Amino acid sequence: MTLAPTSTTARDDGPEARPGRTPQPAEDRRAHRLLRLLRRPLSLQGLLVGGAVVVVGYLAIVPLGYLIHDTFLSADGSGLSFNAFARAYGGNSQSGEMMLNSLWFALGSAALALVLGTALAYVQVRTDTPFKGLFFAASLVPLIVPGILYATSWIFLGDPSSGLLNSLVFKPLFGTSPINIYSVWGMIWVQGLHLAPVAFLLMVAAFRAMDPSLEESAAMSGANRLTVLRRVTVPLLRPAMISAALLMFVQSLESFEVPGLLGLQNGIYVFTSRIYFVLRAYPIDYGAAGAYAIGLLVIAAVGVLVSSWLQRSSRNFQTVTGKAFRPRPVELGRARPFVGAGVILYFLLTVVLPVAVLVYASLLKYYAAPTRKTLSQMSLANYRAVFDMPLAFTALKNSLIVGVGAATAVMLLTAIVSWVVLRTRAPGRRLLDLLAFTPIVIPGLVLGLALSFVYLRMSLPIYGTLLILLVSYCTRYLPYGMRYSSSAMAQMSPELEESAAVSGASWFQTFRRVLLPLMSGGILAGWVYILVVSFRELSSTILLYSPGKEVLSVLIWEQFENGQFTTLAALGVCMVVLLVVLVSIAYRLGARFGLQSDSAN
Amino acid sequence: MRTRNTTLALAGLLVAAATTGCGGAVTTASNAKADGTYAQIAALPKDQQVAKAKELAQKEGRTLSLYTSMTADIATPIAQAFEKQYGIHVSVFRGNSETVLQRALQEAQAGKPGADTVETNFLEMTALSDNNLLADFNGSSLDKVEAAGKFAHWTASRLNVFQPAWNTDLIKPADEPHSWEDLALPKYKGKLTLEVSDSDWFENVTKYWLDQGKSQAEVDKLWKAIVANSKVSKGHTTMMQFLSAGQSPMEAMNYTYITDRAAEKGAPVTHLPQGGVSKIPAFARPNGVGMIKNAQHPAGAWLFYNWLLTDGQKELVKLGLTPSTKVPGDKSLNGLTLVPFDVKGLSKDDGSWDKKYDALLRGAATTGS
Repeated sequence: MTLAPTSTTARDDGPEARPGRTPQPAEDRRAHRLLRLLRRPLSLQGLLVGGAVVVVGYLAIVPLGYLIHDTFLSADGSGLSFNAFARAYGGNSQSGEMMLNSLWFALGSAALALVLGTALAYVQVRTDTPFKGLFFAASLVPLIVPGILYATSWIFLGDPSSGLLNSLVFKPLFGTSPINIYSVWGMIWVQGLHLAPVAFLLMVAAFRAMDPSLEESAAMSGANRLTVLRRVTVPLLRPAMISAALLMFVQSLESFEVPGLLGLQNGIYVFTSRIYFVLRAYPIDYGAAGAYAIGLLVIAAVGVLVSSWLQRSSRNFQTVTGKAFRPRPVELGRARPFVGAGVILYFLLTVVLPVAVLVYASLLKYYAAPTRKTLSQMSLANYRAVFDMPLAFTALKNSLIVGVGAATAVMLLTAIVSWVVLRTRAPGRRLLDLLAFTPIVIPGLVLGLALSFVYLRMSLPIYGTLLILLVSYCTRYLPYGMRYSSSAMAQMSPELEESAAVSGASWFQTFRRVLLPLMSGGILAGWVYILVVSFRELSSTILLYSPGKEVLSVLIWEQFENGQFTTLAALGVCMVVLLVVLVSIAYRLGARFGLQSDSAN
Repeated sequence: MRTRNTTLALAGLLVAAATTGCGGAVTTASNAKADGTYAQIAALPKDQQVAKAKELAQKEGRTLSLYTSMTADIATPIAQAFEKQYGIHVSVFRGNSETVLQRALQEAQAGKPGADTVETNFLEMTALSDNNLLADFNGSSLDKVEAAGKFAHWTASRLNVFQPAWNTDLIKPADEPHSWEDLALPKYKGKLTLEVSDSDWFENVTKYWLDQGKSQAEVDKLWKAIVANSKVSKGHTTMMQFLSAGQSPMEAMNYTYITDRAAEKGAPVTHLPQGGVSKIPAFARPNGVGMIKNAQHPAGAWLFYNWLLTDGQKELVKLGLTPSTKVPGDKSLNGLTLVPFDVKGLSKDDGSWDKKYDALLRGAATTGS
């Protein structure tokens, strides 16, 4: 039923069909046919779509090919071998326990993040909660704070013996220290909080694009608010929730900082601890690292297949149709102060506390629990040190260039590719979807190795410049862009494109003037997400940056390695403030181009 | 008509974008003449080498690329001191020792080395040397370095000394450890922290105990008890932050220079017992410097190597590190009982000690060597 791929040929009538034209000689006809064949790929649609598919395919295949090559190649370089799998999963590697730990950790944090993110998004978009502006910026803070800082501030808060929560709150009041951040639950809590903004951004975009008429009809038929929520709203969001859950599950599987800082203490090993170990050792066992990555890939592929099976009846979820709609915020009435209080409590716990620890640490010379002595020694020396750092402004500039570039490139590419996947019948589109998802399971370090291998051997001046960082970030964030774009695309009914085509628009006009603005919520969310996390991206950057081309995450990592936690905290606070400002500006601008939906926004 | 123009414009942009870089690239290219330069300097009588190197470095453009695993608060002052003395700009790439090794290996394999000189840990320097990436040095500055610090194609520039470290607010003088075996005592249960990659310390202590006459079974028992007392953490400098904050009372091993630097800032940490003298065998691991074959700036690399072993040693002492030569005013080894580092055992290691240590920490160890 989809019309789009044929829209350009609809006008491609050959000379024979037009009345009153003399038939042309055979050679001319063959030439015309050739020209007609070439016209489609050489049209704007062909170039853009073909180009996007080729670029996405290239970005995904380079690290994947490198990984497969290293995993399956035998030690003496000849022929296929599965020894890498034996080394990785066999022997005393305790891989069963490690896999269980990883799955448990990933499922728990994805579930927590999904629940929190969806609830927050609902409150933000669909109710008339107070403090909306603050709400939005503050929801993103756990995402902005770099993983090592976030985990470290929770260590200072939740350490069983000396954590601030235990020593200042629980022990004096209840006499016990129940909080132990080094357990699996502690890890799930920190990672879930860290990921909740991912779900939040996705669900905000989904809620904004939702037609409330179905909810209104349910309300008119007598359903109370809870029933409407349970039987209409949540089911309508299934594609977005599934996309978010998949993304967060795989990201937790692949995350290193939280399990590394919190799990190692009590011997909780996960996939990534093993990958880190084999890549750190010398001689480097690329094969074993590849075997682990392929294990992750299999799990992710299963996840993608399950999620596309769950989304099979996508027609039911298309809420952006040709009819106009205006979502009406749910009036909370008497529940308003409670919800307001709940919002504030959430922020105290998840945003204010860790950031306060960071601010406190940034004012000290070396970290110590708050006592009169430490409070009297607070100063702004660390901030002065940050501004005096010769690389600070270069790193900031580079981070901005690479971040904005990667975010824009990825969102544009994935908007086009998600159109191919969801709106055409092109053969191999499911493979393309899967391919675009694979970079998420490739460990950052392996990505760095793959890219430096390939570009060192290319004569184009890419290695050693900012371009290689751009390529790395585009590769790394491709899956996220795909999830944001495709859930936005899935919400739109094809009748809008069809009406545009019927009115005479070309593919490019339809894409630019109908699809992109309607998807703008999702695209903007994805853009913001990629910009923010690119500031934190470290594992591949470490191998690829060159002196003079440092980015902020490298600076942060250096301070961490230096053990300069206090300067690191100051740098982190500056980064948080800067990114919150950037994100607010982005949303102000983006709101002009998209659906005017949020009231009081 | 409009869309066709847009198409052509876009296509043109794509082509243009694909053929231009984004600003000046850090040049990674091979310099086949580098070996000639190294040989030229090496052939001269020792008292003329520095002058010749300075002259050649001027022709090279007065710049140098250094890959190092020294933390930034050490690498930056070192680079600045060298720049001040010779007027040669040092561009520093800083990373973990593993990262430095991987990058140098990758670039060398592609025939495009980006570093002129590398300064990093014992294991990584050995790997670089075994992979034939380093050029030989024969300057007179080698004379001041002890025999234990001279290696096939590189030379030790500083020493990381292994000792336990503890927080003086939490560990009273009566509870201080006096030997590595003491760490296995039940009184330290829950108070120790081990670092996740300290397999070189693990190997040295194991060999020391075996040489002292302990049986393998006894050694295994000791290690199991130590691990039972400990939590595992990552990063020596990060561990020192947590130690200073009182988050952890004691560390089974940290580098003495890290402990000393933290103590100088006022943190209540130390590696020496109250009497000021420690009987715990202190293993001194060499970290060293090497020049890369086919480097872009071989004369600059030679000068840096030479400088690090002479005037650079004084800079290291100023920063609180332990130099590889005798420098007047160096107090970093006071009160320590030095024991030779097992160079032989670790240079022929193929990663087996890494694996044994990792298995020990995970509780998956079977029996020892």
